[in-house]
Amino acid sequence: MSLMEAFLGIAATCPRRPAIVHNGRPVAYAELARAVWAVADLVGPSPGAVGVLAAHNAGTVAAMLGIWAAGGTYCPVDPAFPAQRRQAMLAAAGCRSVLDPDDVPWPADDDGTPRGTLAAVDAERPAYILFTSGSTGQPKPVVTPRRAIATVTASLRDLFDLSADDRVLQFASLNWDTCLEEILPTLTTGACLVMNDDAHTGSFPRFLRLIERDGITAVDLPTAFWHELVHYLIEDRFALPPKLRLVVIGGESASPARLADWASLDTSRVRLLNTYGCTETTLITHAADLCGPQAKGGPDAYAPVPIGRPLPHVVQHIGVDGELSIGGPGLALGYRGLPEATEQRFTTIGGMRFFRTGDRVEPDADGVLIHHGRLDNEIKIRGIRVNPAEVEVHLAAHPSVGAVAVAPVTVADHVALAAYVVPRPHADLSTLDAELRAFLHDRVPRHLTPSRISIVDHLPHTATGKIDREFMRRQLP
Amino acid sequence: MSVEGVAHIFGRVLEVGDVQADADFFVLGGDSLLATRVLSAVARDYGVELTFDDFAFSPTPAALAARIASVR
Repeated sequence: MSLMEAFLGIAATCPRRPAIVHNGRPVAYAELARAVWAVADLVGPSPGAVGVLAAHNAGTVAAMLGIWAAGGTYCPVDPAFPAQRRQAMLAAAGCRSVLDPDDVPWPADDDGTPRGTLAAVDAERPAYILFTSGSTGQPKPVVTPRRAIATVTASLRDLFDLSADDRVLQFASLNWDTCLEEILPTLTTGACLVMNDDAHTGSFPRFLRLIERDGITAVDLPTAFWHELVHYLIEDRFALPPKLRLVVIGGESASPARLADWASLDTSRVRLLNTYGCTETTLITHAADLCGPQAKGGPDAYAPVPIGRPLPHVVQHIGVDGELSIGGPGLALGYRGLPEATEQRFTTIGGMRFFRTGDRVEPDADGVLIHHGRLDNEIKIRGIRVNPAEVEVHLAAHPSVGAVAVAPVTVADHVALAAYVVPRPHADLSTLDAELRAFLHDRVPRHLTPSRISIVDHLPHTATGKIDREFMRRQLP
Repeated sequence: MSVEGVAHIFGRVLEVGDVQADADFFVLGGDSLLATRVLSAVARDYGVELTFDDFAFSPTPAALAARIASVR
């Protein structure tokens, strides 16, 4: 059964059940279904790729499902990104139109039956296009087919053990694929998706009050945010709300110290699930129960913290260099308009198609994978993949920049981007830092903007003439 | 007095030494995650629950101390 059939089936059998509660206002399954059909009418049959100015609201969810109902491809574009970046994304995705979720019609209940016919679309056709960081300075569009998202959503309903009684927080930005882990398993189970501005204020007391007040049972958090949450719970001795049963984390390596902190709190009834996956392999491919009722060992057993075992839909291959490759129905079609980049990362092993993740892994005695870093320079900034070369391309375009290198540094126990800039002779050094920040502000999203910019005389090079990134990592103030 | 208190919070969170009253948290290497630590510390020390928006408009010890004083 397709995702859309599952969602519409619930709308037909339980029309009054809340699908979404947005800032306290419930949107019933039937109401959402009517908006979905209204969006399908709005975009017309087979609309191709449709850009959506995605934000935390019910209109964005209706837009996504409506575009699918019409047979189109959903392409979220963050309205907070610089205009130049948004244009580049829409062009790279081949979007012919852009939909503002505020323009989604919400038809009133007429005879109670949402109408419409699902477009018959081949499972190999694209469902959505999302972007990842490339080395050229241009956003790199990943095209995910309907087959992949349908398979993985079914797999995640099982992994999360979701039921119609669950209330799932919508926390992730609508512009990254993690939000689909929250939205799709929920809306194809008959559960309720909770969207609330209090989740995004940066205040942990508000965040925890929201979970308590709205009876949230499951949250899916970036590991970096979970680290901060644990920090807060420890320092302020705040208890977790009683209905919370599942905490999913992912995006970067979990800290063994924070895991030990978590285990020392009153968390034994909460399932803490570590997850791993790439946009190109669709949401989650590996998972491990770290704490709670389904965890096997104590948290002390984990240093480093494992990324887990492959989910049932995943085929994995570990190369001689330890590189993890992923095969199976979760694979993306490739990078749109970039055949060489696609060929580089999507390879054939033993007659089967695989995606080379670039992550080095090692299985322990039980086959649980441990992550051992990257085979390339890619890093994670607050859970988002960043290729430092992309930031270098943008900085190098500034007229006062002679040479530039970008590398990860550790600021107060987490990873941030640092840029090392060799100015051109005419550059005004007193204003260069501010100028470069303003220059990037107009061109790239926040996660591609360095936290620190250092003006240097020359870039350190290794014996082979490459930029010495390890040296830079050690040198930062 | 509270400017010094906030500067001390910045210094502790960013793991740097003395922070000037007009130093911008984000130029010193802070990001949204570290900002949550500042907000937690402000709530603890001053009993004031601020948000990212408050902080984004008042990212220096002097401005944030003024913001705290205005809501207390």
